[in-house]
Amino acid sequence: MKDLLAIDDLTSIVSKGVHETYIEARYQSRLTNEVNFSNGELERIRTGLNAGCGIRVLVDGCWGFSSTNDFSKSALREALDEARAVAKVLALTKKNKVKGLAKISNPVTGLFNTRVKGDLHDIDIEKKVKITKEAESDARRYSSLIKSVSCTYHEILDHKIIVNSDGVKAELYESRPEFSVTSVAMKEGDRVVVSEGRGISGGWEDLFREKDHLDYANMASKKALNLLDAKQVAGEKTTIILDPGMVGLIAHEAIGHMVEADFVLSGSITKDKIGQKVASEKVTLVDSGQSNNAENAAGTIAIDDEGVVASRTVIIEKGVLKSFLHNRETAFHFGSEPTGNARAFEYNDEPLIRMRNTFIEPGSERFSDMIKETRHGYLVKGARNGQADANGEFMFGFQEMYSIEKGEIKELLRGASISGSAFEVLKSVDMVANDFRYDIGTGYCGKYQPAKVDGGGPHIRCTAIVGGLQ
Amino acid sequence: MCTFALREAEKADVDEAEVYAISNKESEVFIESNDLKQAKSHKTDGLGIRVFSKNSLGFASTNLFDKDYIRNAVKSAIKLAKITPSDRFNSLPDKSTRINLLNGLHDKKASSFDTSDSAELAEDMLMAARSFDSRVSVDSGNFTSSLVTHALLNSKGIRRQETVSSFFWSIMGMAINSNGVSNFDYQSTGVHHIKDIDVISTGKSFAKSLVNTLDSKKIDSFKGEILLTPVAAAELVQDAIAHSINSYAVQKDASQFKDKIGESVSSDLVTVEDDATNVKGLAASSFDREGIAHKRNVIIERGVLRKFIYNTYTAKKAETQTTGNAAGSANSPPTVSTTNFIIKPGKSKLESLISEIKKGIIINRFSGNVNPVNGDFSGVVKGGRYVKDGNITYATKEVMMAGNIFKALKDVTGISKEKRILTDSILPYLRIDNISFTGG
Repeated sequence: MKDLLAIDDLTSIVSKGVHETYIEARYQSRLTNEVNFSNGELERIRTGLNAGCGIRVLVDGCWGFSSTNDFSKSALREALDEARAVAKVLALTKKNKVKGLAKISNPVTGLFNTRVKGDLHDIDIEKKVKITKEAESDARRYSSLIKSVSCTYHEILDHKIIVNSDGVKAELYESRPEFSVTSVAMKEGDRVVVSEGRGISGGWEDLFREKDHLDYANMASKKALNLLDAKQVAGEKTTIILDPGMVGLIAHEAIGHMVEADFVLSGSITKDKIGQKVASEKVTLVDSGQSNNAENAAGTIAIDDEGVVASRTVIIEKGVLKSFLHNRETAFHFGSEPTGNARAFEYNDEPLIRMRNTFIEPGSERFSDMIKETRHGYLVKGARNGQADANGEFMFGFQEMYSIEKGEIKELLRGASISGSAFEVLKSVDMVANDFRYDIGTGYCGKYQPAKVDGGGPHIRCTAIVGGLQ
Repeated sequence: MCTFALREAEKADVDEAEVYAISNKESEVFIESNDLKQAKSHKTDGLGIRVFSKNSLGFASTNLFDKDYIRNAVKSAIKLAKITPSDRFNSLPDKSTRINLLNGLHDKKASSFDTSDSAELAEDMLMAARSFDSRVSVDSGNFTSSLVTHALLNSKGIRRQETVSSFFWSIMGMAINSNGVSNFDYQSTGVHHIKDIDVISTGKSFAKSLVNTLDSKKIDSFKGEILLTPVAAAELVQDAIAHSINSYAVQKDASQFKDKIGESVSSDLVTVEDDATNVKGLAASSFDREGIAHKRNVIIERGVLRKFIYNTYTAKKAETQTTGNAAGSANSPPTVSTTNFIIKPGKSKLESLISEIKKGIIINRFSGNVNPVNGDFSGVVKGGRYVKDGNITYATKEVMMAGNIFKALKDVTGISKEKRILTDSILPYLRIDNISFTGG
């Protein structure tokens, strides 16, 4: 499909500004393909195009946004006028006007491509259908106790152009495939559901480099089967070893959201904590637009949707809170550098402060020593989902856990949730392993709009509440 | 444009074709950090084409309505239908009799409602919350007006179109005092008519519920009753039931309600309906994603499971009729979903439900996981208040709860008269016994 808009078209719109503090025009053309097989049948197949141009202005200290899927000069001009008009309406009511935006020292120009091995455009849809069908079928045939399987291949291919009145003129091609298998095991009315898969920023070969589609199928069914015979855990506050996926969830949900600067301005518990010790000195926690420590993290972006380079932002360094996550507005407010966290999901969404790849840096201990040095506790694996609260309380679900007694991994137990107060849990971290993995790339973070993010880390040991049946 | 798309598909070598399009004119004002944040106004479109060729499915969508893009989408859909497996249950619904569009979903004045109105109402809601109590901090919120036109055409002669106006508002935040920060609370609701908009009540009730949860204390573990607010009921109960009555889940053997039609699945206090024709509900519309007229479906009647919800595909498989629950946007082929999920209000007043609790917790929100397949849930009580001998004592913190939702449905001991309209449901307060609470 031909490009609908070019940098020059957007530059021309941005140059139409008169009294605006700032104008931004973002073109985004998104191709989505999805295949799902469930229980031997094709449940869903779709291919879709969503393209348009979003225009945002800052005028009289207020933000206005409009968008259009009509690429004529007059329609683009109308969208600009609309954005300007609604900003002026807001100016009549809004109390605290936006005072300014943090400067971009070197406006970004040029082309940015996701590094891919195996361009998804070159992989025929037939192949995508085939592997999804095969994996679903394999997972179901694993055992007669596997009663239901669902397998999904999903890909998002974006072409974006970002032009703004501060001189940014950037073009990006992003590629985000994901693959997952969910197996349901059943015995005597009891059911266990397990999902395995991977979501990345990269290409076809990257997606299946570590494990192929059948590996995920077998893993999901094997785990579901094993968990059928596992017991539920009783609730207790104890020593917990978190796997990299769970560490990613902690980093994202319990800390990351607390340091999003828009939330800080609403009164987050981190408000007055910059420079203070908030975690064990073994903890260095980062949100990065780059795929640090390992390749193909799903939340990787070269620049954010305000044209700021999406670099590595250290949130907590050796236990001390160092930085919030900013867009240009909050960076100006706090007198900080913008961190490249302003992200929009589609052309008709406005950029919001969102995370990218959020992780805890690896430490020096060996995972095996971590187990050896645990008298009583649990190894918690397979992040499901989670939420954190204004006061730092969080809760995450996980798929499976193992009891640890006297330095040895013992019994497999059913998944449950862990909870605690974010900073208390981080202060309790006493061991950080030297391994590293990103593992929450199949999920989306929701904050009015979805965002593709990732998270990970090494195994870490801490204290938290495991919740189960009484 | 829908007619053009259908004609293009019919020209090609397909057996059946369907076109669904949505256009949404939307204006929205966002609240952030106790102030208005941004105003937004635009129109978005989507058009989806579903084709069947020798019982194989193809689907493509586009938001660009130029003829070239429509032709291209039709081609893509046909290409997919050539490579997907054949499935004898793949078919479109036959043309049914003319349907009457519901009254009460389109406020003619909605087209003149503009961003300045949204801004004023967002500000009113914010002020209502902040002036109720200065300890309230609003993290985010919004006021949105939307005018949606959706249309469906298929090669069997179904032609439908309707316009629905909606006004939604939401508010989220916390209360802060010298002892700390409360849990988040969240409220949202909406109406179809401008005259029914009441953002002040939402702002006040949000603030009241928040300040009640300040100065929270840890409690010891116990087993007792829970009183769920409508929002908490949506989080804990609605999804599990909605999943279990969905014919896709039933046919996949992933529903606890499979083979239980006619059996008791909950306390006889519980009656559940799915009713897109309830025009108070925000998911109301005259026809479903396949053009089938919506109707009221009684799902659970005084504790007894009466029916599942179907679209044409799952109904054909189960040798029954669709219930008008084909769902989804123009960007994907129809699935099955509830519309307005309604738990019928009970006879008790909220205050009497509370006064009867010996030992329990009132919760504003449930933050956790509910496994809709086996019903196990585990998570954290949010905005909890401890009730002892009928009296609300203090707010709780760090309380986890776990159990099984299908067992809990049988332990429902009370349903309030009072109800709330949420995004896709109308729910009362529910009181449930035998819940395990784990203190921190």
